[in-house]
Amino acid sequence: MLRIPIAERPQWQQKAEEFGFEFHTMYGEIYWDETAYYQFTLEQIEKGIEEPTEDIHQMCLAVVEKVVNDEALMRRFCLPEAQWDFIRQSWRNGDPSLYSRLDFAYSGNGDAKLYENNADTPTSVYETGFWQWLWLQDNVDTGKLPAHTDQFNCLQEKLVNRFKEIKYLTPDRILHFSCCKDTPEDRGTVQYLEDCANEAGINTDFVYIDDIGRDEHGNFSDMDDHVINSMFKLYPWEFMMQETFSESLGKNNIRWLEPPWKSILSNKALLPMLWKMFPNHPNLLPAFFEDELHLASGVDSMVKKPIFSREGSNISFIGKNADIEASSGPYGEEGFIYQATHMLPKFGDSYTLIGSWLVDNQAAGISIREDRNPITQDMSRFLPHVIV
Amino acid sequence: MKRSQYIDLDKMRKAKPKTLSFRPLTLAIASITLAACSQPDEEVKIVASVDDCKANTSLTLEQCEVAYKQALEEAVRTGPRYGSQRQCEEDFGYDQCVRPQSSGFFMPMFTGFMIGNMLSNRSYTYNPVYQYRNSGSYRNRLMTADGTVVGMPGKRSYHVPPSTLKPKPKVTRTVSRGGFGSVASAKSSWGGGKSKGWGG
Repeated sequence: MLRIPIAERPQWQQKAEEFGFEFHTMYGEIYWDETAYYQFTLEQIEKGIEEPTEDIHQMCLAVVEKVVNDEALMRRFCLPEAQWDFIRQSWRNGDPSLYSRLDFAYSGNGDAKLYENNADTPTSVYETGFWQWLWLQDNVDTGKLPAHTDQFNCLQEKLVNRFKEIKYLTPDRILHFSCCKDTPEDRGTVQYLEDCANEAGINTDFVYIDDIGRDEHGNFSDMDDHVINSMFKLYPWEFMMQETFSESLGKNNIRWLEPPWKSILSNKALLPMLWKMFPNHPNLLPAFFEDELHLASGVDSMVKKPIFSREGSNISFIGKNADIEASSGPYGEEGFIYQATHMLPKFGDSYTLIGSWLVDNQAAGISIREDRNPITQDMSRFLPHVIV
Repeated sequence: MKRSQYIDLDKMRKAKPKTLSFRPLTLAIASITLAACSQPDEEVKIVASVDDCKANTSLTLEQCEVAYKQALEEAVRTGPRYGSQRQCEEDFGYDQCVRPQSSGFFMPMFTGFMIGNMLSNRSYTYNPVYQYRNSGSYRNRLMTADGTVVGMPGKRSYHVPPSTLKPKPKVTRTVSRGGFGSVASAKSSWGGGKSKGWGG
């Protein structure tokens, strides 16, 4: 695994505009960075990332099966009791999932270590599935990279195929896409997924989360008063489950993407559960609940993560690495879990995190984020990669 | 190969933002976007009654009765809804609106229903058709419940996108909005609104 500088494509910003990629630069900072790329061998991709990704996903499903059947665990995962049936029912019905992203620390040598599972609202899917694909295509076309250069990235192809399966499972339903207002990145992500669904032949519509309405029977509706019966929401379940309309969840006939059972996997309590159920697995880091820290003897440095958090917010180091500056943010009121410290590999000045995508239960590609700080956050730069 | 074999770049290009089409309350006029639809159009006839259906299509009397009944059910389920008779009549004309039993809203009466070409043996819905009376460029046009413009009345047959023969989404009366999104807006004050979003 190497970090290799490369010239930017001339006028790529213009191309970004042509394709509607609007958030490549945000708040004056670069987000999409093509001044360098990462190079992997096929073995690093297949043995180092792809296999562990699919293994961990299966382990995660085993956690869901255990948690939905155990009230004490549902409570430990801070899931509101009023929503337990909603979550359980979606799992027992086998409600289909679309996608997830596992975040790994991986340097090209040794075992990739799981940081967390973005199972509910993963973003950077457009940059991964399409934009870095196009970057490779352009660089091969212009001879900057050799013709046989490949990339671990069949994300778009797999998403379209998955939407075809979902269409088969819920024929004739209009799939509503949704995200919050005033979030250009989320809106872009949702548009991309909507395009993939259209490609699969699904009829779609869009409504902002904030605009969802409710009728007297508890059905949700869009701005045209059409009843919603199938919805993709890029909005965390743990938010929705504590908001006013949550009282209608599970009582109206809606097929959700991601399904409610994903709230168990996007939850940091997953990490100590995985460690309990699969101790010493080579791709897991030791992780503990706050009241079970006595089990952590021998771990001299830990990372403290909120049960619910997004994009690296509210993370701090305790023990040996306590001098590393904590990240701030609005999360943490539900409590914390602790994960053994395993620093991200450093390439030059940059700490590098690998996001490994799953479509349903198949590994589908990777994305790479870089940051000058050891905690990557939502503004961390996105870099392309190749397989040689 | 570990990457997507082919991506249709033309489909990935984003056209200039679509100009918002004119929307009379719940009724969205969708003809502009549908015109760009690549699927071939279907030929349909629009009939005003069971008798008209019997006389002018290849359907039998029994089939026409079934078609009418289905159109009626579709109209109740998916037809445009208005809070007052006046608003409804503004769009569909004097005395053209009714209040379904024990409901709190008004709906226009449909002026006919659509019979698809029997040669294509795909299943379709006998959707109701409405005549829009409000002034403007859609005056007197026929349209389906979701606002797809079919054309001027009086033609022997019409060419419509295949989607007009599919069931329309159920329309309801929304009594409240804003029941989702409060947690995000509470948290977004943190960081000076510099968050990119609520994904991760």
